[in-house]
Parts: sequence; structure tokens; C-alpha cells
Amino acid sequence: MKKSLVSFIFCLFLFVCGLAQTKITVAVAANMQYTMEAVRDEFKKTDRTGIELIVGASGNLAQQIMQGAPFDIFLSADTSYPARLYENHFALEAPKVYAQGLLVLWTTKKNIHPGEDLKILLNEEIKHIAIANPQIAPYGASAVFILKKYDLFERVKSKLVMGESITQSSQYIATQAADIGFTAKSIVLSDKTKDKGQWSELNKADYPPILQAVVLLKHAQLSNSAAANRFYQFLFSEQAKNIFKKFGYLVQ
Amino acid sequence: MVEWSPLWLTLKLSFLTTLILFCVAIPLANWLSKEKTIPRTFVEVIVSMPLVLPPSVIGFYLLLAFSPAGALGGMLEKWFDIRLVFSFGGLLIASIIYSLPFMVHPIQSGLASLPSSLKEAAYSLGKSERQTLFGVLLPNIKPFLFTGVILTFAHTIGEFGIVLMIGGNIPGKTRTASIAIYDEVEAFNYPAANRYALTLLTISFIMLFLLYLYNRRLARINVIQ
Repeated sequence: MKKSLVSFIFCLFLFVCGLAQTKITVAVAANMQYTMEAVRDEFKKTDRTGIELIVGASGNLAQQIMQGAPFDIFLSADTSYPARLYENHFALEAPKVYAQGLLVLWTTKKNIHPGEDLKILLNEEIKHIAIANPQIAPYGASAVFILKKYDLFERVKSKLVMGESITQSSQYIATQAADIGFTAKSIVLSDKTKDKGQWSELNKADYPPILQAVVLLKHAQLSNSAAANRFYQFLFSEQAKNIFKKFGYLVQ
Repeated sequence: MVEWSPLWLTLKLSFLTTLILFCVAIPLANWLSKEKTIPRTFVEVIVSMPLVLPPSVIGFYLLLAFSPAGALGGMLEKWFDIRLVFSFGGLLIASIIYSLPFMVHPIQSGLASLPSSLKEAAYSLGKSERQTLFGVLLPNIKPFLFTGVILTFAHTIGEFGIVLMIGGNIPGKTRTASIAIYDEVEAFNYPAANRYALTLLTISFIMLFLLYLYNRRLARINVIQ
């Protein structure tokens, strides 16, 4: 009885290991979630590698990687976290930019009509403006940059509410807890929010480009380095670029 | 550089939550400690819910409820021009709900621990129910009251998930110490995170220490008596 139990557990262990061998783990910045699901599905058409996406705020994921999380690839929402990982020898090669994010002004309230002119934010009916925390989220930093550029920051400062990531500030806008807010174009284009409210794209000359970088992590060497490498290369293929474009990113 | 405003805000929130809950919990615990009926059990379950629910559940529903698009939030905005989401008032309400069992449970078990003869004696001496509660029962369960106060205060200091979901991280209004710590860690600013964290750790430790010290002393007095 005991023997059979032990051998059963052993078999289970082998089975799990066998599964794990054909799988890679990809850490993905929250704003890329839907995009990367599409990229993964496209990749799977020609490759049988299993790909597990771990979605989170870039800062969180970077922390986890530095604490030893078993991720093979990290797609950040910015360039600084990947650079930091590379400097601290967690990455196999220097980070590469895979996409550029675009900033939009979005509202789900019917009586507010966002346009090119940011002065709308001064309206009295707008009580809360959602942004991502500029200290940790690149989209938030860009929003603050653009507000400062038009001398609006000090005037709307008391209306600003901060989400921990671009997805959280988008939740505030989607639930109308905030009247309007800055978010990523990829979010307003995603299936779940596509026809909700109105958005307007901000002039991309008005803020520093939101470059998003990817790194191949050291962990990939330990597990399935060939598969990780294939997926990493795939991110720069024409197919992947088309998906990025379709989801509201700029690619080179 | 550590800003004091998040710590100050946390203490203010904890203090007000404890004060309000103390006033709410006494009649509630008194009512709950009576004979078990179906409505009473129902309320008891509701009071205990925050113990088992993840803060994200409460935070999620409060976000929907407080939003001007929600029924409650819409009404408040239309009639009173109040918006609870992203405000200190909203956090206070959330904290009261979240810490409710931490105040009600100790008081309730305190009342249950008293012999019924105490109450009966007071009644037969002509005291009203209210007089009995405040003049006889509550003075006899001081350690339980103290436990409720300390636990509520400490639990509110430790509140994070709900504040994260409905606070909006506004400095001086909803940016509490636990949120500040989270942000500093996210920004890889470990020294600042450490300073906030250490302050909270110290406060919590001292409070719990005082609680145990007080309960120990009381236990001794009881033994001597």
C-alpha cells in the first residue's frame, strides 16, 4: 500500500516535470495583458511550447524577478525596470524596445467630451481625474508631464487620483468613480472596453515616448532556453508587430 | 526623507474608526449577546463577514457603491453633493465596516462571560436595561473593552487592500502609511519604505504590548481577589 502510494507520487512528480519542460513563463506588464494573449495565440499556431503569462505591474514583476521568481521573459511597460534587471545581472542581454505606448484621455461619462484641448479638465463638473501613480507607472509620469507642459498641473492637482497601475486607474474611469482620466490607448481599444465611453488620443509630441522594453531573463537558461529564445525572437517578428499595432501601440 | 503626512493620516483614520466603532459596537454587542434568534444570527454573520472576506471583495463593492454611477453614490452626489470615493470620509466608512468584528466580538464575548445573576440583581434592584448596561455590565468587562479598542486601532493601522482600491492615493487625504510603504517599495526606494514600515511596526508592537500587559495585570488582581 505504502509502496504504491510512493510510486504514485513519484509518477505524479515525473508527470508534472514532464509538463513543465515544454512550458515557459512570461511576465507581462498589466497594460500588455490582452495584447500578449493575442501574441501568444499567434505564436502557438506554429510552436507547441506552452506559454504561461503572469500579469502584474511592471514594478511588482521586477521586484519578484529580483527575489528569484522563475520567469523566462519580462515585458515591461517601460525601459527602466528591464535596465535595472540587466544591471543587476538578472538578464541575459541588454533590454530591447518592443513597442511604444500611446496616451489617451478617456471618460465613460456621457456629458463629458474629451478632445485635443486639455482645458476640459478645468471644468467644474470634473471632480476626479484618474492617472497612474507617476512615481512608479510610466503612463502616469507621461500624464503629469503633459499636464505640466500646458501649465495645468498645479490647477488640477487637487482633482488627481492615482491608481497603482494603468489598469487600476482605468478601473476608476470605467466605473465612473473618476470622471475622466489618462490611460493607455491599448486599454481603450481592448475588447472589454471598446465601446465604453469616449476617448481622444493625445499628441505624442507632447510627452516623452513611452518605450516598453523586454528582457530575456537568466532563468531561461536553466529551463527551456531554446523555447524562450524562440518566443523572444517572435516578439520582433512581423506577425507580432501587427498585433501590437492593432492593439494601439507604435512599433518600429 | 520621510513625509509625516501618511503616518499622521493613518493615526487619524485609526483613531476616528475606533471612536465611532466603540459607540456603535456597544449597543450592537449588547443586542447580539441576547437570546439567539434567526435575525440575531443573521446580523452576527454579517458582522463577522469582514473576518473571512478578502479586503478586495469589500473594496470592490465599495468602489461600485461609492461611484457616482452607482445607486448609492449617485444619490449622495445628487442630493448632498458628497462623493465618498477617493475621500477620507469614504475610507472612514470602509474602515468601520472592515474593523467591525474586531470591536464587536470582544465586547460581545465579554458580555457573554458575565453571570446572568449580575444582570438579574440589577434589574430586581430597579435599574433599567440601559442603566444596567452602562452602570453594571460594562464596568465589569473593561479588559474586553480595552481589547476591542486596541485591536480595532491596530487593525485599522494595518488596513491596506481596501484603501488601495477606493483611496486613489491622494497625499494628505487617502495616502495612508501602508500605501506609502507599498509605493516606496514599488519605486525601489527601500530606505523610505523601511522608515515607514519600522514606525508602523513600533506602534503596533507597543499597542499590543500594552494590551497584554494590562490584561496580565487584571488577571493578577482577579486572582488576588
